[in-house]
Amino acid sequence: MPDSETPVTDEIYPKDSTKSYALVELMPDDGPMVGKGPDNTVFSFPVVLLWEIILLLLVTLGIFLFSLVKQAPLEEIANPMITTDPAKAPWYFVGLQELLEHMHPVAAGIFIPAVLVAFLFALPYVDYSRADVGVWFASRRGRRITFGTMIYTLIVMPLYIVIDNAFPLRELLRDSVPLWIAQGLLPVAILLALVGLPLLVLWRLKATRRELLLAAFTVMLVSAFVFTMSGFFFRGPGFKLYWPWEMPNGYNPLNEL
Amino acid sequence: MSFSSRFERMTKSRVWRAFFRHGWPDNPLDRSLVMTSNIFFHLHPVKVNRKSIKWSYSFGLGIISSILFGVLIFSGVLLMFYYVPSVERAYTTMKDIQISVPLGQFTRNMHRWAAHAMVLAVILHMARVFYTGAYKLPREFNWNVGVILLLFTLGASFTGYLLPWDQLSYWAITVGTNIAGYVPGMGLQIRQMLLGGVEVGQNTLIRFYTLHVAALPVLLGLFISLHVWRVRKDGGLAASDQQEPSETANE
Repeated sequence: MPDSETPVTDEIYPKDSTKSYALVELMPDDGPMVGKGPDNTVFSFPVVLLWEIILLLLVTLGIFLFSLVKQAPLEEIANPMITTDPAKAPWYFVGLQELLEHMHPVAAGIFIPAVLVAFLFALPYVDYSRADVGVWFASRRGRRITFGTMIYTLIVMPLYIVIDNAFPLRELLRDSVPLWIAQGLLPVAILLALVGLPLLVLWRLKATRRELLLAAFTVMLVSAFVFTMSGFFFRGPGFKLYWPWEMPNGYNPLNEL
Repeated sequence: MSFSSRFERMTKSRVWRAFFRHGWPDNPLDRSLVMTSNIFFHLHPVKVNRKSIKWSYSFGLGIISSILFGVLIFSGVLLMFYYVPSVERAYTTMKDIQISVPLGQFTRNMHRWAAHAMVLAVILHMARVFYTGAYKLPREFNWNVGVILLLFTLGASFTGYLLPWDQLSYWAITVGTNIAGYVPGMGLQIRQMLLGGVEVGQNTLIRFYTLHVAALPVLLGLFISLHVWRVRKDGGLAASDQQEPSETANE
């Protein structure tokens, strides 16, 4: 083949006649792997596989040992005639059950969970910048924001539960406003204000989208934790608030796992 | 014949080479081939960034979640050999599993504790991915797959909760499904669809059982595969996107 007919790619990248070549992948030019050599990499075999085997052994050993010492609960046969007291949802939904004590079921059981799931789905489309990817809490400032909102939520949400329990809006406003305001609009507005306050402060401080999301996600996660803890450990017979160690009728929340 | 020559003869035999299409992975070529030509390994990339295998970066939470899923499939299949999803027999078969089936109580314990652990691991995994910013471009779609996996995991756990048919499970599912009844406009219909009636009964048990042992595990398996494959396609763990201080200095 005369020189003039050699494709330009072969001039740039001369091919070895003893090897065969294949196109590995087509990528848009803004992908993270474009122009990236295999620098600072190791072969997955055997490092990653060894990691997985070690984790497999440790996790199964942990489950084995725990299963030897703690028995799965099995109470009396189901009886639709006898309601258990308290009747609690599984632990991962008991936070919602706690929320139900404070507002109308449409707000606590439908509206708020729907908003949370929508928030989770939409989150990567709100903050899509490639900055600080793969860095815990993005930056020193991000770390401060995360821990700040965590402490804020750990104080504010238990206070909300206790105060709303002592002065329930439903009773206070029984005769003055319709139910959908006392049980729907007002409690949702209060929660929204509690969630919005740290976001508003950060927004005034010109926080980035990532930092706003760090605060919003932390409020969500820690609130879920607080409401779950309250519903699981602090609610006894009649779903009333008790100290976990002062539960009446010998009720032990841990038996409900 | 010495051991090494016997071994060599074995690895050169037709049967061996039908099973393994590459040599022992002690060189770059075979280390690549072992990952790409094995169905169980091919979800992994051939090479990984050193930063992404650091324990303090990911805490292995995604792998731990899938391991727990494996433990649940294993112990769940064992329990299925004995459990009968009927209102008359469900509770007695649970008692049988605990009292007369060899290692029955232990298998049931494993299934229950692994189920709680998986819900917890999946939530922690989501928090890890969020706080390391690993949901960002180009991983947005995989984050959405992860949210779907979280919902499936909660669904699998919730449907399994009813199966022992004791007071704990009966009233937990009653409380849980009552919430669905408050969906504006069609709450009663949704609740009725979940329960197969106006209250938790035989129809509910068989619906939850089918979802628990067939529909949700298959969906979970499919979506976990998609999730892990997509991690590889999006360039591995997000830790590998971090730029070296020297790289940034050059820009």
